[in-house]
Amino acid sequence: MSQDLSSLTQDGLAAIAAATDERMLDDARIAYLGKKGSITAASAQMKSLPNEEKPAFGAALNEARNTINHAIDEKKLALQTAADAKSVEGIDLTLPGRQIPVGALHPITQVKDEAIQILRRMGFALADGPEIEDEFHCFDALNTPADHPARNEKDTFYFDSGKLLRTHTSSVQVRNMEKQTPPVKIIAPGSAYRRDEIDATHLSVFTQLEGLFVDKDVTLADLKGTLEYFYKALFGPETETRFRPHFFPFTEPSFEIDIKLVAKGQEPKWIEVAGCGMVDPAVFSAICESRKDETFSPDNITGFAFGMGIDRLAMIKWGIRDIRALIENDTRFLSQFA
Amino acid sequence: MLTSLKWLNDHLDLSDHSPQQLDDLLTFAGIEVEGIESKGVPSELIIVAQVKEAVQHPDADKLKVCQVDTGEGSLRQIVCGAKNYKVGDKVPCALPGADLGGGFVIKEGKLRGVPSNGMLCGASEIGFVDAEDGLMILPDDLQIGQPLIEIFPSDTILEIEITPNRPDLLSHRGTARELAALSHKELKPASEGASLETAVATDVQLDTSTCPYYTATRISGVSIGESPAWLKEKLEAIGLRPINNAVDITNYVLHELGHPLHAFDAAKVEGALVVRAAREGEVFKALDEVDYTLSPEDAVISDNSGSALALAGVMGGLDSGVTESTTDIILESAYFTTSEIRRTSRRLILSSDSSYRFERGTDPENVLAAAALATRLIIELTGGTLEGATQIAGSLPVLTQPVTLDHDRLFQLMGRENITLDQAEGILENLGLTKADATTWNVPSYRQDLARHIDLVEEIARVHGLDNIQSRFAGTFVEPSETDASYDAQLNIKKSLAALGFYETQTIKLISEAQLADSLPIRPLMEGDIIRVALPLSEDHTLLRPSLTAGLIQVAARNIAQGADSLRFFEMGRQFRNAGGGKAKDLEADSLALLMGGKRGPSNWSEKANTVDLYDLKAVLSALLPQATIQLSPRDRDGWLLCADITANGKPIGTFAQLAPARAREIDATSPIYVAELEMKKVEALIQPAFKASDLPQFPGSSRDVSLEVPISVPNATIEKALGQFKEPLLVDWACTDLFADPSGEKLDTDKRAITYSFHYRSETGTLKGKQVDSAHEALRNHLSNIKGITLR
Repeated sequence: MSQDLSSLTQDGLAAIAAATDERMLDDARIAYLGKKGSITAASAQMKSLPNEEKPAFGAALNEARNTINHAIDEKKLALQTAADAKSVEGIDLTLPGRQIPVGALHPITQVKDEAIQILRRMGFALADGPEIEDEFHCFDALNTPADHPARNEKDTFYFDSGKLLRTHTSSVQVRNMEKQTPPVKIIAPGSAYRRDEIDATHLSVFTQLEGLFVDKDVTLADLKGTLEYFYKALFGPETETRFRPHFFPFTEPSFEIDIKLVAKGQEPKWIEVAGCGMVDPAVFSAICESRKDETFSPDNITGFAFGMGIDRLAMIKWGIRDIRALIENDTRFLSQFA
Repeated sequence: MLTSLKWLNDHLDLSDHSPQQLDDLLTFAGIEVEGIESKGVPSELIIVAQVKEAVQHPDADKLKVCQVDTGEGSLRQIVCGAKNYKVGDKVPCALPGADLGGGFVIKEGKLRGVPSNGMLCGASEIGFVDAEDGLMILPDDLQIGQPLIEIFPSDTILEIEITPNRPDLLSHRGTARELAALSHKELKPASEGASLETAVATDVQLDTSTCPYYTATRISGVSIGESPAWLKEKLEAIGLRPINNAVDITNYVLHELGHPLHAFDAAKVEGALVVRAAREGEVFKALDEVDYTLSPEDAVISDNSGSALALAGVMGGLDSGVTESTTDIILESAYFTTSEIRRTSRRLILSSDSSYRFERGTDPENVLAAAALATRLIIELTGGTLEGATQIAGSLPVLTQPVTLDHDRLFQLMGRENITLDQAEGILENLGLTKADATTWNVPSYRQDLARHIDLVEEIARVHGLDNIQSRFAGTFVEPSETDASYDAQLNIKKSLAALGFYETQTIKLISEAQLADSLPIRPLMEGDIIRVALPLSEDHTLLRPSLTAGLIQVAARNIAQGADSLRFFEMGRQFRNAGGGKAKDLEADSLALLMGGKRGPSNWSEKANTVDLYDLKAVLSALLPQATIQLSPRDRDGWLLCADITANGKPIGTFAQLAPARAREIDATSPIYVAELEMKKVEALIQPAFKASDLPQFPGSSRDVSLEVPISVPNATIEKALGQFKEPLLVDWACTDLFADPSGEKLDTDKRAITYSFHYRSETGTLKGKQVDSAHEALRNHLSNIKGITLR
């Protein structure tokens, strides 16, 4: 009897080995271990055996089943492994990936946001104002005399209504102080307009960022610390800044800020990046007059203000030589900022 | 302003300062140096040489081999190609080692095989203007071997930008005075003038407030001719063309002292000089030969004939100035008021060295000093004679007042640790201020910009330098603003769009009339809505954009022209509109414009890129506002196809359209272009506020489909509207999953479409039984079957 089982097992193993796919393997399982399978049939002989032979026969049956099952499991794994390998046959890993459309924020947005995030870290809040301004907010309140060259209609866009397109974001300073109480610590990014022909270094509409900090005890030391921190954060901790005395109607003393541009293979060069200064008392007086109160009396408070061209920061940051690249919106340019 | 270093040295010994040190000194005192240029012979190794012999080069027709005496004992052989000299001429010779600039250093060498030990020079090669082709022929009396640099001294020209508050620096004397203060040096005495007697004017009449003070000095018997070399050299150094001795002297005094003068030909003046307001419409022919039409706001110098001889403070007349035949001169030196001169100069668009100074503010104390200096020079250089006393009309204005320096506020602004009172006062004294008492300071007449406490602080800070101020890194806490919230929301949307494959653009907010047709503002435009600038720079930029789509279409056109085949752009920013109603109320608000066209994505090997259609843009809108239901609701507009309101949860937030195919063809688009514009205020309001997240569903749900036959005339929105009205608590979600139409009419009538929706049911209280789903779904089918024209399949 054990001989029979042994040959059945050998036959079963041969059938399993011959199987070339999972269905043939399953057929082999059914042929040997299924309800009508040959090993299942052989087990029927058990009851006709004498009792003393039954344990040995049972053990032999179990071994035959185990051997077949084990062979089936192994064969199944082998077949799956082979099929898995086949499933990736001929695939070229080096073909390019399918392309998802790529987009990007405009470089002005990117550098503006960097600037905003740095200034927010120092506690500045954002402020905003209209781009169509009146002369009071753009000039008068900023201590700019009526016959100042900037108020010329050759240099500034006016409307028949007498309003104008703001020539700087400094008008937001005035609008903010009219409404708030000190401390005022604001930044105002936005467009400004000048009647300049568009060329490699000029735009008639450009992006500025204005800053203003007014409080009880704001000094030149705060102005210097704030802007030194800002340029280090924006252009790297090694960035050197220098403050050149200058003249603006709305600040006194006033300074222009240069940063040292160090480019490989070139002499380091100082380039102008911003104007700044201590708010002129005349500006505070104009605010008092407009508010009809003494909240911003120059006797009680001081402040500093600064203004910088965001376009210029972008040009410095990315070495953009022609400012017009920033308004042409050519994807061959914009794709670099993805 | 151009400033000659040599000229400055008349006033101040600057020999120990290199040009770079001067640049730094001025720059850090707030006086910007825009350029430094060296003029003159570039090297000490360029000397006077005499040509002793010139013979033909054996191997070159155009070259000669010269023997040249350079004063070294033996002759030097130099090969030369020039033709304009003869043996015996004295010419410049650059010896080996001479650096002619631009990396050109003279070396000993051979020219066509013949040794040449130097170079004979033409004028332009050594910093002069070429008078003739070839070598520069020097005067015979020069000593052989002498460096040219000693004969033609070099100069350094500083180009200085003077800010409008510092007119006192618009002269060599003024700049020297500032440099003396900054470098703690002694200023040399000013050039002496003639000693002028003065008398109250009988021949000058002042009739306008533009001129509070006028002086006239008469010099007779002048002979007008060429100026001497020293004077021409000074003027040429700062870029002025010498004209004749009288005119050159007035120009010299202007740049020496900063005070403009005018010289009249006395023969052209009838009777007294009358300084008066111009008559309305009076025509004046100025020196520049242009006829200017004047108004009573302008002041003129006239005479008893009544005609204008000069436009006060701005420019002389063509017919009254000094010419070669002039024998008697009336020299005007006056003070003209700043804003009046500025007004005239601006209105007539006529600016001169004179108006430039008067409109910024001249030093009244200089009126007589300038007249005296000019008079002395005229007498010396033209042989003229001073006639009587200088006539004086009006009185000298006093334009400076004592100013208080508030010490507490000085320290409050500078920081007490950064400067001492002694340092601060020392700076003021250096700048020419004098202390009247403990806190009061007298201001010199040339510093009219110092009128307030803060002006003195500014001077102290400027000279002390920010380098000497310790930076402070401390801050105040402030509340975030509404603008902060709006900025963050807008930036998030921009970032989402960039991630969805869109390029952000920034276009000029001033657009052209023609671009109005490309504008798709949320509310249709009417003529009165448009805001035009009064004086546009060009017709491309005449009005403020009422919509951002025009800019995007221009961007699309540009990129199509550059070969781009996939167009995905957005811009966010202000648009402008006049609210009309006669109040000229200008409205400006941020909007977001999107443009899609061309291929859906970049071409690739795996699949053929389809062109974008409107559902792509609709998908983007839904992706931007995932919590809102975005719908397009048709609204016709001229010039666009498929125009629709964009609604979110049923409320309009923007406009959508397809660019008219005719316009698309104009910009060479080969497939449809879609645009949308959204009001940012409404978009921001739809961004989900703070909320609590729901728990995950605890029980499984079950899905059922419905297929509907819908007449083509019935839009899908009808079905969605009906679904929105169907109240069934178990129905948690639905989606439109299939659309079928059969153009052949075999499987479905051609005027119908089959639309399939999939519905998902779920209960919060337990696993749904089949029967529960069936009954809810049956109710839904009934509800849908009630829509007019729709049948269930």
